Amino acid sequence: MFSRRDFIKQGLIPVFAGSAVPSVFANGLAAAAADSPNAAPNDRILVLVQLAGGNDGLNTLIPFADGAYHDARPTLRQDQGVLPLNSQLGLHPNLKGLKASFDAGQLAIVQGVGYPSPNLSHFASMSIWETANVKSGIGDGWLGRYLNYLDKVGESPNHALEGVSAGSLVPPELRSSTPVTALQSLKTFRLQPVNEHGTQVDVENPLMKFYGAFKGAGPAPFGALLDATLTEALQASHALQATDASYVAKATYPANSPIASSLKLVAETIVSGLGVRVAHVTLGGFDNHAREKPVHDKLLLELDQALAAFMQDLQGHGLGDRVLVMTWSEFGRRVKENGSAGTDHGTAAPMFLLGAPVKGGLYGEQPSLSALDNGNLKFTTDFRSVYASVLQGYLNAPASDLLGGTYEMLPLLKA
Amino acid sequence: MDDAPIARPPATTAKPIWQRPVSRRTVLATGAAGATAAALAALWKGNDLSQILDRVRDYTHGYQGALSTPRARAAHALRRAGFGATSVELDRYAAMTSTTMTQSVLNYQQTSNAALEAQLPTLDLTSDKGPAAGAVQAWWLQRMVQTARPLEEKMTLFWHGLLTSGLDKAGPAQMYSQNQLFRKMALANFDELLKAVSKDPAMMVYLDTETNRKGKPNENYARELMELFTTGIGHYTEDDVRESARAFTGWTLTGGKQLRYTTDSAFNPKYFDSGQKTFMGKTGNFTGDDIVEMLVPLRATAERLSTRLFSFFAYANPEPEIVRHLADTFQQSHYNVGAVVREIFAMDAFYSPKAYRALIKSPAELAAQTLRATGSDARAYGAAVTASAAMGQMLFYPPNVAGWPAGTSWINSSTLLTRLNFVNGATQRMRSASPSATLDQLTSTLVDGNLSPTTRDGLQAFAAAHPTNAAGLLFMVLATPEFQLN
Repeated sequence: MFSRRDFIKQGLIPVFAGSAVPSVFANGLAAAAADSPNAAPNDRILVLVQLAGGNDGLNTLIPFADGAYHDARPTLRQDQGVLPLNSQLGLHPNLKGLKASFDAGQLAIVQGVGYPSPNLSHFASMSIWETANVKSGIGDGWLGRYLNYLDKVGESPNHALEGVSAGSLVPPELRSSTPVTALQSLKTFRLQPVNEHGTQVDVENPLMKFYGAFKGAGPAPFGALLDATLTEALQASHALQATDASYVAKATYPANSPIASSLKLVAETIVSGLGVRVAHVTLGGFDNHAREKPVHDKLLLELDQALAAFMQDLQGHGLGDRVLVMTWSEFGRRVKENGSAGTDHGTAAPMFLLGAPVKGGLYGEQPSLSALDNGNLKFTTDFRSVYASVLQGYLNAPASDLLGGTYEMLPLLKA
Repeated sequence: MDDAPIARPPATTAKPIWQRPVSRRTVLATGAAGATAAALAALWKGNDLSQILDRVRDYTHGYQGALSTPRARAAHALRRAGFGATSVELDRYAAMTSTTMTQSVLNYQQTSNAALEAQLPTLDLTSDKGPAAGAVQAWWLQRMVQTARPLEEKMTLFWHGLLTSGLDKAGPAQMYSQNQLFRKMALANFDELLKAVSKDPAMMVYLDTETNRKGKPNENYARELMELFTTGIGHYTEDDVRESARAFTGWTLTGGKQLRYTTDSAFNPKYFDSGQKTFMGKTGNFTGDDIVEMLVPLRATAERLSTRLFSFFAYANPEPEIVRHLADTFQQSHYNVGAVVREIFAMDAFYSPKAYRALIKSPAELAAQTLRATGSDARAYGAAVTASAAMGQMLFYPPNVAGWPAGTSWINSSTLLTRLNFVNGATQRMRSASPSATLDQLTSTLVDGNLSPTTRDGLQAFAAAHPTNAAGLLFMVLATPEFQLN
């Protein structure tokens, strides 16, 4: 059976991601491996929580003392139960778990995060955040590049479970030549044998041969993609089957909550010792152009309860020190609510970093609600600064090589 | 439509790229050159000779003149225009000329779908809440499997992926009614389709036009109409978004049912913003229809839709020359989608080696083609809907307004295992009464008899070792990498 390294040696890397690693980046990696003896990777885990659709930052971290907030949000403003962090700012009333983490020094909130010349398209802006390429949004995912880096420096656990996402698709921020596994359930992640009159016929070997023989065929690079994917899938399924299946959650996850199920699956994967380094989960539904309040209130409640259970579960397994959770969304919403009791696409919004590795507190600067750009907030912290701080300060990876530039480091994380 | 003028390149130029048949010899030479280069590269890296010869064989096998037989051409066309073909259908279409086959596929209105309609379950369209989501999903999948008008169903899937709405906001009856709209206007003029979609209840709920009222504009639909449905990004400004949102005011949902369940819409002048709007440099008291009429004629719209259609039916990233030709066709045919699709099926590029197996079967395509091969009963459709979701495509529930990213995103370790396990389950459920076909018949119908030598040998070995396991053998054919492609 081919290992991933065999594929790499054969120069078949680009077909994984459908695009070649930009040469400038490949050089950066080589340089990083050679010149950064201090950048030894570690066994820390980053869990990314995507709030898809554009989360309303102003109704998440609420400037409750600012009259402009109340003026701009006649129906959407939260005027009761805001959980104050200081005299100006508070968390949405449904973020009680996050408030407790803040009080315990385990939640860092970066205010007003965005990027220059903000793009108000969901998809263009998502690509920008996913690739950390604000010019075109094209290229490997920023965490895909990190996984790639782990491969190059030889510290990766060397199977497809180092990067996992909960769901049926691999999110763009994890994409690179390094394979990533989408997981829907650990139990079903295996190739079923063929049934023959009540006995089971194993078909892994013949299928591996079929896919291996097909890998160079065809006008498009799908043969190689299919072959590499089957190889990785079977390797990962063998690893999953060999693992101690004794995971018992040490927290009660909310029922009927897809984000809670996703985080529980990630916890199970982490606790089972499968070598996860980066995990991704998505909570969708934030694009609330109309009747925002009930939907957004519910989403934040789901997020808060799922995160609280996840952190409790990991702490219960003694893994709290090794896991950092970070939230992101492609943009915030327009400051002034629209006529449908909703908000249109906006710009800057806060990011949350949660877990024992963080130095809790508020970072950056809350954007002004009066000095606006076309009705939108002006960002105060570049998201790439946050990425750089996590890559360098937490994952101990060469941030400027991986991001293709140098950004201000924020002291968000314990050494 | 047939009389619409079609752009032709000047007579003095060489034959256009899409009408250049690639000879068997050219393909052989190209393949061999590519393989030689690959072998040299491998030698350079110090690999041993037998490995290199294997790779040469793998690079060149099977694709020389893959589409040279009428049966293979028919199979290719029906995978693209529909959801694959049975052996009987292949025989029928292979006996036609390419032109007749294309006519037959395109002029599907002349083919009765009564047999399908008689088979379909009755959906509850009269009660307040209408049918359950699962019932509508299974209903559509059954249509894909049993339709006598493959292109009608395929275009419906195309529109669902482009002019998206989803069950995360709209209700099942609304999605059903939008689906019927796509079916009815599958090959219509694009401006007419967009005008209808702008007033379609599922779309009005999904992109919030139902809340878009005079003095309270909501930008959602106006933005996506330009970014995703017509010109694409870079051809409009944020001001155009804000102004055109005002033009789409006035349409409301009617019928007194809850928002998600109502399937009627109407124009109410009271809610319409009749003020002057400035859109793309023009000023007037524009309506939504006016905005559509300004967007559809733009070259960016013609090129974007042409690219999307060609990539859906033939291969990704079409040559600029092809896009230019299709965009001309679109603009000179009053924006007729049928005219563009007809051109695509008439292109040699559609039957070129570059097009062969150049698409990955989407989960819905894989599910429908599998059920056509295994046979299906009422329960199979629901199971296939669930499996399709786990493979990354839940019908009526696209991941977001951009639809499914498709292409290589269909394949990751999770979805590939799910595809194989779904196919396995479907073959296990086959009625034992199904006539068991020989291996040659199976591969001929399902993968054009075109397999790598290794796979051919492996299938023969499986058939020999498991002579009574018809379901297992069919699984092995459906599990080949070749079958994962379209």
